[in-house]
Amino acid sequence: MEIIIDVKGLTRTFGDVTAVNNISLSVQKGELFGLLGPNGSGKTTMIKCLTGQLKPTSGEVRVMGLDAVAQPVRVRELVGITPEQETPPSFLTAEEYLHFVGHIRRIADIESQCGFWFDFLEFGDKRDVLCKDLSRGTRQKLMVAQAFLHKPGLVLIDEPLINLDPIMQRKIKNYLTEYVKGGGTVFLSTHILEIAEEICTRIGIIHQGNLIREGPVAEIRSSSKHLEEFFLDAVRGDPHA
Amino acid sequence: MLEIPRRSPSGIFSNRVPINTIPRRSLSGILSNRVPTNTIFTAMLKEEWRVHSTLFGSAGFALFPLLLVFFATAGALFWPFFSDVLPAQTAVILIHSCYLLAGASVGGFGLFGREVMNRRFGQASMIAYSSRSLPVSEQAILLNFFLKDTVYYLFFWVFPFVAGLAFAAPFIGLPILSVIRMLATLSLSFLLGLSFVFLLSTIYVHSPRTLLGILVAAAAGAAFYAHSVNAGVISLLPPLALYYRPSPLLLLTTLVLIIVPSAISVRFLKVEYREETRRFPETLDRLVGILAWSPDSHLIAKDALDLNRSEGGAGKVVFSFLFPVMFIWIALFILLRFIPMLSQLMVFAILLGVISSTIYNWVTEFDLFTSYAFLPVEVGTVIRGKLQSYGLLNLVSVAILVAAGLGTGQVTLLLPALLTFASISFYAVAVTVYVGGLSPSIMLYNAKVYLPYLGLIIPVLLVLLFVSIPNPWFALSSLCLIPPGWYILRKALFRWTAWEQPSF
Repeated sequence: MEIIIDVKGLTRTFGDVTAVNNISLSVQKGELFGLLGPNGSGKTTMIKCLTGQLKPTSGEVRVMGLDAVAQPVRVRELVGITPEQETPPSFLTAEEYLHFVGHIRRIADIESQCGFWFDFLEFGDKRDVLCKDLSRGTRQKLMVAQAFLHKPGLVLIDEPLINLDPIMQRKIKNYLTEYVKGGGTVFLSTHILEIAEEICTRIGIIHQGNLIREGPVAEIRSSSKHLEEFFLDAVRGDPHA
Repeated sequence: MLEIPRRSPSGIFSNRVPINTIPRRSLSGILSNRVPTNTIFTAMLKEEWRVHSTLFGSAGFALFPLLLVFFATAGALFWPFFSDVLPAQTAVILIHSCYLLAGASVGGFGLFGREVMNRRFGQASMIAYSSRSLPVSEQAILLNFFLKDTVYYLFFWVFPFVAGLAFAAPFIGLPILSVIRMLATLSLSFLLGLSFVFLLSTIYVHSPRTLLGILVAAAAGAAFYAHSVNAGVISLLPPLALYYRPSPLLLLTTLVLIIVPSAISVRFLKVEYREETRRFPETLDRLVGILAWSPDSHLIAKDALDLNRSEGGAGKVVFSFLFPVMFIWIALFILLRFIPMLSQLMVFAILLGVISSTIYNWVTEFDLFTSYAFLPVEVGTVIRGKLQSYGLLNLVSVAILVAAGLGTGQVTLLLPALLTFASISFYAVAVTVYVGGLSPSIMLYNAKVYLPYLGLIIPVLLVLLFVSIPNPWFALSSLCLIPPGWYILRKALFRWTAWEQPSF
């Protein structure tokens, strides 16, 4: 199988704080990998290192065969990213923002792409509203849409469903599952365990910057434990988890 | 089974704090707000300090006023060498005018309401949002914000300058009483400029036409007063008059001129509670089409929409750029009385070149690089787009310069003045980009950043001003700034692209 994300000995520190500590990890094509961890465990730092937004203090990061440190812009050309906190620019409308991303990514059929996402995520009636006047949920839909506009082979999503209603959450979960079946790869970071248990094919648990567990979700399902139990045991340091 | 607590609807809702029932308050009401004013004020001061010290380190931030002390001392010590060209009275007028201008340049609170608080330091000004979650009115918040900014600017801009003068005073024969008087009158000049523009910007938000009418009437009134009474500039600026002729009545008049506009502005502040959603037809692509000559047309188009749709609109440019430029033009009139060999147009072109670089601050105000960081864009590309927006906005400067040249009949000097302006503007913005990247308005508060900025701008400015005195055409030597400007800009793009962007 083709390896899409290959991380070796990744460490990232901020002053005295080690946000990510010597993590090695690989994600194969067609996987829906879930990085789980409590708040502040290093998930967002990990995604930023994978996409060249942050330079690792040490270690190697290869994404879709590219060195994310040496070619961060090229990596971001190939992948789609839904960040956790960043919001679309305040004074563009939702439609203008998607067009703006389309210009940056040089997407030829931006109009049809926009049409699809407005329909699919059901916010076409907000296309002419300034981003700063959009609800939090609609902004999140917009950020999800911008990540898929250029039909990337890999999408990295940081807390993807946190502001969405259950109907929209279901839609996006289904979409991600279909996207992976179609040959795409997803790297998902979340602390909502139900999402990971439901749609991920493999998970890793990060705690205090360390990758403390990693494995297929099917193995957890086949055991008597729920993911929540498994997660809590892992974070609390149960060696049998 | 899920149990619902047995409470009557009235019981559930009766103890609710009414939402949005804080009426427009009188000033006394604002001042007697139940949340102690000093709580917000103290917290805002702490916040201001921590925002800056977090960004630059406490030492870097604290060094800023020390730098001003140093420059003021050095300037005062060297003043006797060029006192023939710049007599004491002219220097005093210019210093007071500069502080009036400095106050005016930070007084545009009324323009932006809530937005100015947000934009001042990115998303960091949390206390400014207290009215959303605490029983504090927007007016009370703004009053505290105003007072905090006043204290902050006095400590960072006025007091260090006067301290520098005080250090130099014994060596240049300046009586200590004059220094003390200057501490008071410079503070008052600053506050006068601040409160005046605060009021104008508040009027602008309510009615731009009224503002235009007031400005025309005020200019006509000032001109008539100065002409009919032959009073001169000293009488037009009360703190300046107070410096020369201290009197309780003049002090009272000055205080009234400061307090009344500020109080009116706080009382009638229009806080933009845009509950309605703002809708616009797709405009980005149309602008991209118009700007198709640039590979960064989408970035320029975004800047244009940001500038146009953000609160304050074109008023931002008026208050932060046209006012200072107008002031410089007027100040040059005064200066010409004392230095008749100065070419007003050429000196104006030189100063306009430096002032115009502040336009770059505007085009970098609306977004942080974090908005782009997850897209395939380099910092250098974003800066390149901002520079092109800067170039286009600078057409306003060109228009002003052309109008000034034609208006004063100095047509022969117009072309060299334009070339001088363009080369200085290019050099100044290159330096600004080098030291401040995409956040110059924040970075320049760091002494370690501000010092190289001044070091690269001031000597060049002084040299050009001096060489233009014997012959205005000599100012064309500013064209020599283009190669170093180009070099600095290249270094800046490399520097900022290599750096991880700070998030504020």
